[in-house]
Amino acid sequence: MIDWRQSPPGKPEIIKCRSPEKETFTCWWKPGADGGLPTSYTLTYHKEGETLTHECPDYKTGGPNSCYFNKKHTSIWTIYIITINATNQMGSCSSDPRYVDVTYIVEPDPPVNLTLELKQPEDKKPYLWMRWFPPTLVDVRSGWLTLQYEIRLKPEKSAEWEIHFAGQQTQFKILSLYPGQKYLVQVRCKPDHGFWSEWSPESSIQIPNDFTMKDSTVWIFVAVLSAVFCLIMVWAVALKGYSMVSCILPPVPGPKIKGFDTHLLEKGKSEELLSALGCQEFPPTSDCEDLLVEFLEVDDSEDQQLMPAHSKEHPGQGMKPTHLDPDSDSGRGSCDSPSLLSEKCEEPRANPSTFQTPEGIEKPENPPKNVTHTWDPQSTSLEGKIPYFHVDGSKSSTWPLPQPPNQHNFRSSYHNIADICQLATGAAGASATLLDKTDKHAFKSSKTIETGAEGKAAEQREVESFPSKTDQDRAWLPPQEKTPFLSVKALDYVEIHKVNKDGALSLLPKQKENSDQTEKPSTPETSKEYAKVSQVTDNNILVLTQDPRAPNLALFEEQAKEAPPSLPQNQAQIDLASFTAPPGNCRLQLGGLDYLDPAGFMHSFQ
Amino acid sequence: MLRAMGRDKASLDRMTFDNLTGSLLLLLLLVSDLLLCKSVASLPICPSGAVNCQVSLRELFDRAVILSHYIHNLSSEMFNEFDKRYAQGRGFVTKAINSCHTSSLSTPEDKEQAQQIHHEDLLNLILRVLRSWNDPLYHLVSEVRGMQEAPEAILSKAIEIEEQNRRLLEGMEKIVGQVQPRIKENEVYSVWSGLPSLQMADEDSRLFAFYNLLHCLRRDSHKIDNYLKLLKCRIVYDSNC
Repeated sequence: MIDWRQSPPGKPEIIKCRSPEKETFTCWWKPGADGGLPTSYTLTYHKEGETLTHECPDYKTGGPNSCYFNKKHTSIWTIYIITINATNQMGSCSSDPRYVDVTYIVEPDPPVNLTLELKQPEDKKPYLWMRWFPPTLVDVRSGWLTLQYEIRLKPEKSAEWEIHFAGQQTQFKILSLYPGQKYLVQVRCKPDHGFWSEWSPESSIQIPNDFTMKDSTVWIFVAVLSAVFCLIMVWAVALKGYSMVSCILPPVPGPKIKGFDTHLLEKGKSEELLSALGCQEFPPTSDCEDLLVEFLEVDDSEDQQLMPAHSKEHPGQGMKPTHLDPDSDSGRGSCDSPSLLSEKCEEPRANPSTFQTPEGIEKPENPPKNVTHTWDPQSTSLEGKIPYFHVDGSKSSTWPLPQPPNQHNFRSSYHNIADICQLATGAAGASATLLDKTDKHAFKSSKTIETGAEGKAAEQREVESFPSKTDQDRAWLPPQEKTPFLSVKALDYVEIHKVNKDGALSLLPKQKENSDQTEKPSTPETSKEYAKVSQVTDNNILVLTQDPRAPNLALFEEQAKEAPPSLPQNQAQIDLASFTAPPGNCRLQLGGLDYLDPAGFMHSFQ
Repeated sequence: MLRAMGRDKASLDRMTFDNLTGSLLLLLLLVSDLLLCKSVASLPICPSGAVNCQVSLRELFDRAVILSHYIHNLSSEMFNEFDKRYAQGRGFVTKAINSCHTSSLSTPEDKEQAQQIHHEDLLNLILRVLRSWNDPLYHLVSEVRGMQEAPEAILSKAIEIEEQNRRLLEGMEKIVGQVQPRIKENEVYSVWSGLPSLQMADEDSRLFAFYNLLHCLRRDSHKIDNYLKLLKCRIVYDSNC
């Protein structure tokens, strides 16, 4: 009866051949499909260099589907070509021949007799000592196989094993153990040119709780080292305490104004202080050359005809360009000129900072914001430059902005004459003017940089990279609280009524009119009231022209000789105004300048 | 010894003298033994009293075993790399049967045979195998170098093996000089004639020639390593490694 479901057997396959000691070996195979019939398997082989084919000598020892080659049948350094034949009633099938060299299939049994012992010698660190024996079949003594060992251990509950390579030795010491834990240990071996064995069965040991890993020597060493370190630190601090502290906390620079005596300041003797500073009578007659004052802020005092005052309010309008009278006389003279600024000099300055918006001129109700301090890169050639504050980017008067300045960030910066004096005198002698802390704080709080304009940012970078000053920003802020004469009153603008033939300006106070004053260069206003000084002649005569625009830009030119038209009218070009007037001969050259401090050239016209 | 002597007085005197002599000799023997015996067993091949011989043999064997172990590791790696890179699917393994030039040297094929050979014969055998590989290694380096896209890994290993093989040969000759200085053997080795195969135009044949050479090198380096470890344990540690 032919059962059509029956078929010859499928192809068997040799899975693995292995030798535990390089003296015998075993091969296992996997049967193919049996074809529905009882299938018998045979293993046949022949050796390299022989033609004779042999059959497996032992099918039993290795288990089912295996063949065990004992010592007699095993040759090392010889290739065996082994084939499995599956035979059933329908047919037979042979596996692919497998080429086996016993030399390269050595995989020993795990080491045996792993013992663990806790040793706690006196005066020494306690440790775990473990030892084992090579697997029984492997012949290590004759050198036929050379074994290397590896141990691993872990606390019972831990998930990770800690593996240690033990070389050819059959013992090992573990030093770092946690007391109170139960440890599991395993070991395995590898012949010199073979495969790793399996891990031996686990051995466990319980570490007692009093298994202390004391090492007083280490702690003594650590304590001594710490003490030495502390002593060194104390000594270093004692010797170089100040320099260390100054390294960690750099001292805040105080004002360094030439001739500035802090002791006098503390005593409150402002007159002596100012005289020590070198504030000359107004207008200053000496040391004008090296002073740069860009903005001059005039106070609203009784002497209205002498001093133009800023208008108090500029609600949201463009900034009022306040310019420093480049005449150094004006800046300095205000300090000592009682007729002009006596009241200011005595009153404490109420403004939190030197620079305020026009709205907040009188009192510091409107603390200035967004006041930027920049250097005019063009003025690098000047000596004794004083950075001046100018309104932020919104004020087109100060920086040549690629875009129209913002309207709402209008701030006008102005200087109190006294401030100018302060700054001027400070800058005159020193390359760096330093301010006291309070001023600096006020300054900094008000200092922001308008980032609206790229040009401004570029300028700012230039400014910051200005080499001569590092504390330029701080330099400008005069010590307001300390200068009682620096009182800021409401400053008004004056309008030039007329210019007489002598060149004297007759001024009228401007009554809080802001409508015509806008800092936006883009909105020209009809500013009939304002006269624009086009140039100053050699005779210290101001040539004024009517400027229909209302560029409230304060432009300062470094030299009186510079051509004013070179400066764009609407652009704020910050030049460091320098007090270039020779003694008693202060000059003003202002391009596009709307406001003048007549006090600055008062003497020249009278 | 004392009891064996006679009991009369003369013999007693003689016995005493003999006793003294005996004890003296015993003492001398013990002292000389203590001086000579650094290890549990003294080397069977070193003349007694030659302490330098024992120490230097141990060092020589240690060094030789390190070299042979290293050479076999390199050969094994080189073969595996070549096999992986050039011999896949070409069925070289079926053809590399009984094709090693050193098979004419009657080397022991299992542990029993190796343990039965006298250590001098085994040393000489090792020398022969080592000498047989001088020429093939030299040509292996030059031919691998000449291969297009010469594999750097294989070339560097071949160069290293060639050099280490030379050093091992020197070491073995020193050991042989110490173990059996009186015998001066003719330099016998197997001649290798596989160079034309390495230079064949047919790529498949040429690659098989390389495969075969590397296969034989791996095997022979394992043999040398195994024999040397056997000899070391037998000679230096008295079969008690």
